[in-house]
Amino acid sequence: MSLSDTMTRWRYRAVPDHLVGEILTKRWVDNAIPMLILLAVLAVFGSLIPDFFGSASVTNLARQWGEFGLIVIALMIVMVAGGIDLSVGSTFALGNIVALALISVAEWSVPAVVATTVMCGAAVGLVNGLLVGYLRLRAFLTTLVTLIIVRAIVDMLLLKYSVSIAAAFPDSDLWYFFGEGFLLGAPFSVVVIVTIAVIIHLVLSRSRAGWHILAVGGSRRSAHNVGIPVRRVICSTYVVSGILASLAGVLFASRLGGAGADTGIGLEIAALTAAVLGGNSLGGGRGSAAKAVIGSITVMIIVNSLVRLGVTSGANSLLLGIVLLAAVAIDVRWLKNRHKVLSKVYVSPTYADLPPAPPTSGASPYALNDRLRPVELIGLGRIDGPEDVILDDDDNIYVGDRTGDIVRFFAPDYKRQEVFAHTGGRPLGMAFAKDGSLLVCIGGMGLYRVTMDRRIERLTDETNRSWLSIIDDSRLRLADDLDIALDGRVFFSEATIRYEMHDWPVDCLESRGNGRIVCFDPNTGSTRTVLKNLVFPNGICMTHDGQSFLFAETWGCRISRYWFDGPKKGTVEPVISDLPGYPDNINRASDGTYWVALVGMRTPSVDLAMKMPGFRKRMARRIAPDEWLYPNINTGCVIRFDENGRIIETLWDFGGENHPMITSMREHKGHLYIGGIFNNRIGKLKLDGMDESWTGQTSYWGRT
Amino acid sequence: MRALGHLSQEQIVFGLAVLLCIGFAIALPGFLTTNNLLNLVRSVSILGMLGVAMGLVVIGRGIDLSLVALMAVSVAWTLQLVANGVPLHQAVAMGLAFSLVTGTITGCLVAYVEIPAIFATLAMGTLIYGFGRYFLLRLDVVYMPEAARHLLWLGQGTIYGVPVPIFVFAGVCLMGYLFLRYTRAGHYLRAVGDNLLAARITGIPARPVIVMQYVLSSLIGFMAGMVTAASVASMNTRVAISTYVYDVILVVVLGGIGLSGGKGGIRNVIVGTLLIGVLLNGMTIMDIQYTVQNVIKGIILLTAIVIDTIVNPRDEQTAQQGDI
Amino acid sequence: MRLITTTLLATAVTLCAGAAFAQGIDDPTREPYYSAFEGKRVAYIPVAMGFDLTEGWAAGLKEALEPLGMTIDIRDPNWSTDAGAQAITSLISEKPDVIVVHNPDVQSYARLLRRAEEAGIYVVQVNMRSSYSTDAFIGADYVGMGQRIGERLVEVCSPANGGSGKVAITQGVLTAAASVYQMQGIQNVLSQHDDIQIVSNQAADWDGTKAKNIAATVIQQHPDLCAITGFWDVMDVGTAAAIKESGKDVYLLTQGGGNQMACDGLANGTYSEVVVYHVPGQARDMATMIKHLIQQGQPAGTTKTTLFTPLDFVTKDNMTPASCWSLPGLN
Repeated sequence: MSLSDTMTRWRYRAVPDHLVGEILTKRWVDNAIPMLILLAVLAVFGSLIPDFFGSASVTNLARQWGEFGLIVIALMIVMVAGGIDLSVGSTFALGNIVALALISVAEWSVPAVVATTVMCGAAVGLVNGLLVGYLRLRAFLTTLVTLIIVRAIVDMLLLKYSVSIAAAFPDSDLWYFFGEGFLLGAPFSVVVIVTIAVIIHLVLSRSRAGWHILAVGGSRRSAHNVGIPVRRVICSTYVVSGILASLAGVLFASRLGGAGADTGIGLEIAALTAAVLGGNSLGGGRGSAAKAVIGSITVMIIVNSLVRLGVTSGANSLLLGIVLLAAVAIDVRWLKNRHKVLSKVYVSPTYADLPPAPPTSGASPYALNDRLRPVELIGLGRIDGPEDVILDDDDNIYVGDRTGDIVRFFAPDYKRQEVFAHTGGRPLGMAFAKDGSLLVCIGGMGLYRVTMDRRIERLTDETNRSWLSIIDDSRLRLADDLDIALDGRVFFSEATIRYEMHDWPVDCLESRGNGRIVCFDPNTGSTRTVLKNLVFPNGICMTHDGQSFLFAETWGCRISRYWFDGPKKGTVEPVISDLPGYPDNINRASDGTYWVALVGMRTPSVDLAMKMPGFRKRMARRIAPDEWLYPNINTGCVIRFDENGRIIETLWDFGGENHPMITSMREHKGHLYIGGIFNNRIGKLKLDGMDESWTGQTSYWGRT
Repeated sequence: MRALGHLSQEQIVFGLAVLLCIGFAIALPGFLTTNNLLNLVRSVSILGMLGVAMGLVVIGRGIDLSLVALMAVSVAWTLQLVANGVPLHQAVAMGLAFSLVTGTITGCLVAYVEIPAIFATLAMGTLIYGFGRYFLLRLDVVYMPEAARHLLWLGQGTIYGVPVPIFVFAGVCLMGYLFLRYTRAGHYLRAVGDNLLAARITGIPARPVIVMQYVLSSLIGFMAGMVTAASVASMNTRVAISTYVYDVILVVVLGGIGLSGGKGGIRNVIVGTLLIGVLLNGMTIMDIQYTVQNVIKGIILLTAIVIDTIVNPRDEQTAQQGDI
Repeated sequence: MRLITTTLLATAVTLCAGAAFAQGIDDPTREPYYSAFEGKRVAYIPVAMGFDLTEGWAAGLKEALEPLGMTIDIRDPNWSTDAGAQAITSLISEKPDVIVVHNPDVQSYARLLRRAEEAGIYVVQVNMRSSYSTDAFIGADYVGMGQRIGERLVEVCSPANGGSGKVAITQGVLTAAASVYQMQGIQNVLSQHDDIQIVSNQAADWDGTKAKNIAATVIQQHPDLCAITGFWDVMDVGTAAAIKESGKDVYLLTQGGGNQMACDGLANGTYSEVVVYHVPGQARDMATMIKHLIQQGQPAGTTKTTLFTPLDFVTKDNMTPASCWSLPGLN
């Protein structure tokens, strides 16, 4: 290996390129940019203002943030559902004046004041909600008008009560506690907003009501069509918004106690800036309490710090305007381009050095021949993509197809077929369990069992999540092939955790160890990952000792053996490490050896490309997926080998006429049944000199 | 309701205005005098001009919340320049240039950066006010300096007994009408407002047309600003952060120009302006407190929007995503 | 290093003092006077910068205090009570020596001002007071001012004096403290004069355009209107324009800080009469109070002083060049 190869290899081993793409797929990455802005703002003002991080300064800021944050959350909820509420500022002012009038003039008790004020806010929200939700008025204009009306009502109340409010000092410790007290070491308003933020977060992310809100915001039409009561949901968001805004008004009233005419004027712009800056999108569907909190803190710090720095009035508006513009521009651009960036960087190839491919000519055990020529075709043109083939005790054939069905061909002539079961996913590897039920790996769904009376049961669709994995690898994306140990444990391969079923060839471009082998134990019902970082693990076959299995790694062009029991438990041993093609399913042969299908053959160009990850990366970024250099998966063969890795025979279809591609083969009563994931047929080949009574079931379970 | 369904909002509002007129004429002595009527129109002519500016943008499916801020700052800067000794015509040219350049920037933000018009102009409004206060002006209120005295005619003069602002308003309306009716750009503007994608496919230069909307609006805004400044001999930049721009939207929407674009014309602006004028005039004569006036105004606007929604309904199947 | 510098300075001062003795007697209060102010910090929180009153006060304070080695910090909340409250709150933890505050209303800052005093900061209020009285208040007596305006209206418009008895009032924002107190004063007087009739009492939001529209309509309705009183000269430029347009002879009584623009307005007939609370005078009063408080050195909140600004009713006839002032560097 040359020096540059070594360096490339270490470069790709050391730098986890694939994480960039994985991070971009996460929803929380939306919060990264707002978070960075927040940190930048903190850094700038922290260095400009002396004692910025002092406890007094932080406490003051936090207390004011409590009120502002509530308003931003209020606005966020409405925005998430696809609306907008400009009346929050006025509702805030209404909350302020009502609370003050009740506590100072009417001298009510504090709980009654809070309850009544919040009711007032809810009433304003209800008006908005009825108009926007039920009458379907335009949110922007409607709330603009309610802003004006509520503001005018506030002015009228002020006119009536401001003098008496000014004259009275409410005599309630609880009231002052709201405005000046500490709870658990934090200002009261902070405790309030943290509690509410957590509740809102839980509701939005984990409750039916929250999902409805997100659904309506995500696509109003679809939400309506799936039966979500769109109007009621929208109405309720405005009510919540009104409640939160008036609650902020109560906190403000208890802190300052002033019935100023300017309370809440322009607050909607600041709140809108904060909400958008935090990453809540304008059209709805994307938003969270965390985003609202981040945005509100940022804007709070900017506004407060500018006042503290003593800049003149203009600079304040100027900066706020620029920040709002930049935030919306970034938001719009981000939404528009995120998936483009993602599609460019998600494919992240790594260095893969395959051993030299053995020749397929001359005296090589892989030498070309035409032994598949006499294959008899079953179901030609009536089956689409039988990845795996299996036969039951009565010689009926079961295959999965592209439309998600498991199709049964009836013995003896296989002219007749029926849909045995419909799975909904992509049925791949199959095996019969001891009780006669059919276990199927379904791509996109997981491991399922189909009983002989055609009931479909889920065995497992998730495994333990790895702690350090960025993408959620607990869900099974591409369960591929399985086999069953004597004690009933099911070992199955998951080819890749980074791609969905339909993108499986793209995984070859990466040739990273993205796959794993998972064990499902029906006795405990648990699912654990047993082997990780395998390069597209595919076929699995139990050896005859009952303590180990063979597995094939497709893009690694090798077959290995894993001991799950016995003295060598937990070790992996190579069996064949230099296949001339890409191995797929492995199955037992009648004489104690094994069959393996090679789905395609290696080519020098792809082998070379595997050593040049930079080349593959550029390819993935710059040219259309249709033009990418893929491995050959059109021509393959069937190989028989023994546990020591010795190649016994190779079966080719030289002309590629009967069996252009092969992903699986199953020996049954002296015949070999062949499937291919892109084929429209099942092949049946008479084997010479093999046991004519041998079936898989007898080999595994000893039945006749 | 079915009978109402045949009426356009413009007709409804016009009828409402006439009804109010009749009511006031009977109830309020002195309402139906020539002087009062002239005064009524004069008092809303600036609002009407701004309404034409906003109307053009709204017909093109945009909205310009920075209209008033730009008007205030550019005109205040013009006055400031004159006060600083810059010759009048040069100062006006500079103010106008500032206005147009800012309008172009806003237009580009909407058309090319694709920021939704509501937010782009909202942010630009705040930004323009801040920019003006920080870099161009020192005081909130800039007075008409001695050197600009003959501008006063624009706001306070009369021709044949009719105040000049009314003529300016009429002129702006006429220009707007001719523009929409007879020029290619006007047709493009309506097409873009009606269906942006279809307009783009037919080969209309959609983005430049959108930029043009905001340039036009800043141009008319500057004219309205000059009349404002002339009529009160000063320019108060605080109007930029007041709710005045909402009143302008009120006029436009009230007249029946749909916010979804493509619909309506200058006549709608005139009708909307008329109703507001009658309303304000009547309420002032009745000595209704300003806050109460706001409530009444708000409720009337709300009614107009509700009627609009009922006459031109939207539902879940046709509502556009993100169409707030 | 600092120690050496100080020692050197001290030596130099002693030497100079010694030299001074040779020529005359030094004023014994000089040295404590100047040292009392050195490095003191004053924070100034108006409702907003950018208009004649607040800019005038700021300029006056700077002129009077900065030569003494004091620093003036301006925190501009730009018409936001909340921002102002934030500014005061953070100032309390920053501990300047004096806070000068211009209250947007009587209540909002009250508790903060008390907390500031408790933290040992002197609080001086200007022109618009809070319900909490602090060390000093300097400003117009709005109730008194309203009464005197009421009396002027009676004088000018009473049918007994040949007027029609009809007056209109254009307020700023109805809820502003100045408006509320002043209306009280005006009502006090006019309620005793049945011959004076308030035909309109509207709020123009401190906006000239609105003031103009209101005035124009009222004049239409009442062609025999005698007088309009507005609550701010800046806004009443609009009222004046309406009067001028109507061609009627309406007496315009307005008020303000006495900026040069007011006198110009009187000279060219825009206003008939302006009630002036002299802003430079208020600034000087504030500076004096601040000096007083710092020199006394008593804990904040010990004494409460109110200084009402003298009011000038300026007309074209009694106007002198000293009636108005202009802000340095402004047009």
